Amino acid sequence: MVGRRLWPILAAVLLVVCVLLSLGTGRVWLNPAVLVDGVFAPKPNLAWLILAELRVPRTILGLMVGATLGLSGAALQGLLRNPLAEPGLLGVSPGAALGAVIAIYFGLSGMLTLATPILGIVGAMAAAWLTLMIGRGGTLTMILAGSAVSGLMLAGVSLALNFAPNPYAAYEITTWLLGSLADRDWGQVTLAAPFILVGWLCLILTVRDIDALTLGEAQAESLGVNIARTRFLALAGTALSVGAATAVTGAIGFIGLLAPHLVRPFVGHQPSRVLLPAAVFGAILLVFADVATRVIPTSQEVKLGVLTSLVGTPFFFWLVAKLRRMSP
Amino acid sequence: MKLGGRLWTGGAACCCAVLACLAVAASGVTRDQAAEPPGKPMRIMSANMCNDILLLALVPKERIASITYLAHDAVEVLMPGADRGMAINHGLSEEAIRDQPDLILASPWTTPVLRRLAAQVGARIVEVESANSFDDIRRVTLQVGDAVGERARAEALVAEMDRKLAELDRTKPAQPIEVVAWSSGNSVPGAGTLTDEIIRRAGAENLARKLPDSRYSSFGVEELLAARPDAIMRGEDRYNGPALRDAVSEHPVIRKAFAGRRITYPASFYTCGVPQSVEAVRELRAALARVPKGGVTW
Repeated sequence: MVGRRLWPILAAVLLVVCVLLSLGTGRVWLNPAVLVDGVFAPKPNLAWLILAELRVPRTILGLMVGATLGLSGAALQGLLRNPLAEPGLLGVSPGAALGAVIAIYFGLSGMLTLATPILGIVGAMAAAWLTLMIGRGGTLTMILAGSAVSGLMLAGVSLALNFAPNPYAAYEITTWLLGSLADRDWGQVTLAAPFILVGWLCLILTVRDIDALTLGEAQAESLGVNIARTRFLALAGTALSVGAATAVTGAIGFIGLLAPHLVRPFVGHQPSRVLLPAAVFGAILLVFADVATRVIPTSQEVKLGVLTSLVGTPFFFWLVAKLRRMSP
Repeated sequence: MKLGGRLWTGGAACCCAVLACLAVAASGVTRDQAAEPPGKPMRIMSANMCNDILLLALVPKERIASITYLAHDAVEVLMPGADRGMAINHGLSEEAIRDQPDLILASPWTTPVLRRLAAQVGARIVEVESANSFDDIRRVTLQVGDAVGERARAEALVAEMDRKLAELDRTKPAQPIEVVAWSSGNSVPGAGTLTDEIIRRAGAENLARKLPDSRYSSFGVEELLAARPDAIMRGEDRYNGPALRDAVSEHPVIRKAFAGRRITYPASFYTCGVPQSVEAVRELRAALARVPKGGVTW
């Protein structure tokens, strides 16, 4: 296949383009020349402040979160042998959302800026642990357990909205749930990064075993795959990386579902070959989507999560239609 | 031309109809008031936070049936301890039955059920609009004063406010600096808001007025930086003490770029237009004086 040799070049070009766009665009239009001058001019100056304190952390966060979603989506689709699998399915994203909402609800985020991400990670871990405990039986049980845990976590979020201490808190919670990369800072990058990196490591460690899993669990086990270990790695990796990502950006859907499907025509359907390309394309997709939220001329910035959902849903429909054609 | 003419007549007719309805409604209120037996209302229920404050300032505690659950924070700022031991309501109709008020101070947002019920429990209902300027405050204070039978007290409060305002106007700084009330950019109060009025009376210019969407608009950190205000103000929800203190949760770039130029104010001070709002002007004036001279250096 031509794509196999071409995709690294394509990915590299797209990556560079999206990073440059992300650094160059914003709610305030600054001429690229002014931005470059700002880097060398005496600091602080306006261009430097905007670039170094706002756009660079935002871009890095976008790349990390996108890669996380793509990678975990690909790993989960391989592990569960289900083309619709994504982090939200296992209750991880709703768990992170609940943790972060608790931080907003009790005013902890007002006292300590990092309270939201920390509790988000805790929430994601709790949700993943719950899913793993309940859904021990097998793949199907795990998906069912995941949707039960998602339901529980979303009920908790609704409860927090129900009892919101004041209208501002309710508003903050709602807008936070929409997902955004706007006005993030270095503190959030450095907080999320270690968890995300450890999560990536766990997910990459599944690479050896998920190919064997395509044959089915019993066959994989007969080939010497430790299924419990693989499942634990995938879930822990997802919880760590997606939990940290969701905690700093809010809920961003569909990237985890979309990225693996986008790269499969290029790299083939072998799950282990999909992981890395899915991560790269997840990052590219998310940063492009984030650039779009800044370029679309609306009085308030379109929230990133809203945009990815709007663009992602038609793709979901297409996927369902394709599956219906393929299944007997 | 013909169509335009017809539209014009139709529009005018609609306006007339609406005005007529309003007039009928208004006359209904006046008739009710006229029908009220002489004597002051003795069990007053307030269904709106801003009315709570006016009520507490105007009438003795014994005549207040209940105030809203929202009032506490604002009362702590404006009249510490004034609401101690007071019954609270949530603006619900059932509470009107519980409290058996003879006067309900409502707002344009009071639930319709409460309005209907007011008639049944024999309470007069007086709708008080929110005050977004000192002219509004004068009007609303006198309106509530009339409703609760404390006209003289209301006039005294207004006179006191006007005296302080005149004093503040006399000592206005010659060179206004530019500020913006920016609380995470979700909604920035512009022209026609109480915050804008307080900012201008304190002798500053409100940057948000320059934005196209003038009343409440939003902007992010990038836009805030590019606008280069001389100082930024931030409303604090949780307020405990009569000092303007530093906000803790801000984007680091704001702390860096506006070091020494951040003013924190108690949000409840700016929520309700009441005679005490003049104190907000006074505090802001003092805080503005501490802002370093000359614009930001970057």
